[in-house]
Amino acid sequence: MRRFITSPARRAGEVICAFFLLLSPALAADEDTDLNLIPPAAQAAPPAVVPVPASSATQRNYLEDAFTFTPLRNDLLVPYPPPTPASWEDRLFLDSRDEWNLGNNVTLDYSGRFNLRAANDIPFPSHESVRNDLRELFLSLQPDDSTWIDLGRVNVKSGVAVGYNPTDFFRTRAVVEPLTADPTILREDRLGTLMLLGQHVWTGGSVTAVFAPKVTQPTAIYTNIDLPSFDPMLDRTNAQDRFLLKSSVAVSNDFSPELLLYHAGDRTQVGTNLTVGIGQQTIAYVEWAGGGRASLIADALAYGRQTGTLPKQAPPVIPADATQYFQNDLAAGFSYTPVDTKLTLNLEYHYHEAGFTSQDWRNWFNAAAQHGNIPGVDPALWYIRSYAQDQQEPETRHSAFVRADWTDAFVTDLELTALANINLQDGSGLLQATADYYLSRVWTIGGQATLTFGGRRSEFGSLPQAGGILLRLVRYL
Amino acid sequence: MRRSFRVFATVLLLAMAAVAMPAAAQTPQEIVAAADKVRNPGQPFRSTDTLTEYVAGRPRDQDQLVVYAKEDPGTRQFRNLVRYIEPPRDAGKMALFDKHDLWFYDPSSKASVRISPQQRLIGQASIGDVLTVNLVADYATTLLGDETITDAERQQRQCWHLDLKAVTDTAIYNRIEYWVEHGSFRPVKAKFFSDSGRLLKILYYRGYREQLGAVRPSEAVIIDAVDSSLVTTIQFGNLQFQDIPEAWFQRDYLPRLRAE
Repeated sequence: MRRFITSPARRAGEVICAFFLLLSPALAADEDTDLNLIPPAAQAAPPAVVPVPASSATQRNYLEDAFTFTPLRNDLLVPYPPPTPASWEDRLFLDSRDEWNLGNNVTLDYSGRFNLRAANDIPFPSHESVRNDLRELFLSLQPDDSTWIDLGRVNVKSGVAVGYNPTDFFRTRAVVEPLTADPTILREDRLGTLMLLGQHVWTGGSVTAVFAPKVTQPTAIYTNIDLPSFDPMLDRTNAQDRFLLKSSVAVSNDFSPELLLYHAGDRTQVGTNLTVGIGQQTIAYVEWAGGGRASLIADALAYGRQTGTLPKQAPPVIPADATQYFQNDLAAGFSYTPVDTKLTLNLEYHYHEAGFTSQDWRNWFNAAAQHGNIPGVDPALWYIRSYAQDQQEPETRHSAFVRADWTDAFVTDLELTALANINLQDGSGLLQATADYYLSRVWTIGGQATLTFGGRRSEFGSLPQAGGILLRLVRYL
Repeated sequence: MRRSFRVFATVLLLAMAAVAMPAAAQTPQEIVAAADKVRNPGQPFRSTDTLTEYVAGRPRDQDQLVVYAKEDPGTRQFRNLVRYIEPPRDAGKMALFDKHDLWFYDPSSKASVRISPQQRLIGQASIGDVLTVNLVADYATTLLGDETITDAERQQRQCWHLDLKAVTDTAIYNRIEYWVEHGSFRPVKAKFFSDSGRLLKILYYRGYREQLGAVRPSEAVIIDAVDSSLVTTIQFGNLQFQDIPEAWFQRDYLPRLRAE
């Protein structure tokens, strides 16, 4: 802080100035015209508002109807095996999040989504028309001011990037029926993991330890038409023992790196999250994880054989490097908010060493061209890519991500979001634009358009979905 | 007669100068410091802020935030935790504002996102946050003069008209024009400017009453100078002193901040 320093001469000058100002006090008429900008309704102090109980902030419940229309490509180089993605779907769901104080520093947390759905590829009504996603249900004990023990299904999220989070180790298989490609929304409806979590936060940092036990066997990847109705689907989240230890330490006022150690099955990974502010408008961030693993293709084929989707003795449909060696995952980027705007831009580079190389992509398309007539080849090829989506990991090795969010765009209460996910190896990509308008404190109406582009021998140009339209209406309760 | 008048005038001028002396004895920076103390108590507190947004003269949105504020003894600047209560779509969201360490937490995605000082200004949380800023810590002040202006309750107030320029990189606005009432040191009005010199907001304080151990404003009126059809009023309610442990200002504490 720089103190204002006055010399005797300056002080004398101020006295003289004050004296003359007092003799002829300025009536700042120009300043008073600002008062005319206050509308009559706000001229007088409004009656004292009765504050909403702060405890209401522990709950959020809303009813949403989302209609999606998905135009499909019919000239795929690699035919998509049945069931093809639904061309239309309507989903009405009640999304709930609540917390109850049970006393003695114990709370019970619940988060879930109850879905009613109809689509062109599922019979209505049927058990597929009614689904419930139990995202979280856990007890939280706080033995002292800065220590917590959580037991139950908990959603643990790590990472500082937006488009891809290499250190978000509990993301695998956790997303059910996404309505959007926006990673920030995807995380809103993902399943937690059954775990015991301990956390301690102190003035200079925090430490978190997690143990998530194996309670069931791995299962085959779900499709749109075989999702269970009322089942916690622990097979998605607790099919192997998992451990996580993470800690953040405040090195300086605005630099608190986070370090992570994760072990699942027979694999161990380490990771870090770093953020740094650059000036008033920019936050730069790096998120990295590394550890021993095989390639995405080898992992997918092994999982398919393990869960019975692929024949156990079948040879790989494309060359797969099953050697386990140290591989890296990286998301590096920045957010930028231009001066005097309500616009935030994110630009990121993603590196997924285990993902498809350019040669892997050529192999993938060539295998279909050369052996696609052999039963099981095309489904096995698509299985590899379905596995990547199920694991929430990029299919390709190098990609870029751009996102722009504009609050109060053009008019108050209109929020526009646009994002692009680009495969840097073949130039194909996905574009998505979303508009949400807050009609009132409880009503929101929104729309979303998605487009995939690229050549027929590219990641996004080979997808069965050419794009999509989503319309939604939300009523907060 | 003429001599008598000259004596009378001299006495009057000296008397007026004497009245002016106490005011002039305050440096501009001391005036701002005193005004900061009128707005903010010297110990940690919480308030429930109700923000009513008027669009083209009509009330449109109403937000409620709980703000937990504690002064950093090192920088003399307030650090804030903000918890959204209303509207329902934002309920449970939280923000941590601690110098350059700014984080936003959304319980729906369970994600903490670091935000820049510029991004901090997007959204209503910034308004509740900015109102606890100790201006003396981040700005150098010069006295532009004395002015009598009309406050938001249509009362004439004799004020110091001050010009504040940012001297730290944690200052939220580049420049502020500030009107502080003589004697009471009550802030009456402020104008906030961006780095580019653009007038962003005009702020009036009103509804002075006894709370948190002193007479403080219970309401602020903020006019959006970029779109003057937007006006926001803020009522500071449920003010109370509260012990706020230092650990609360860790980003990993955000998901643990419980409603009380």
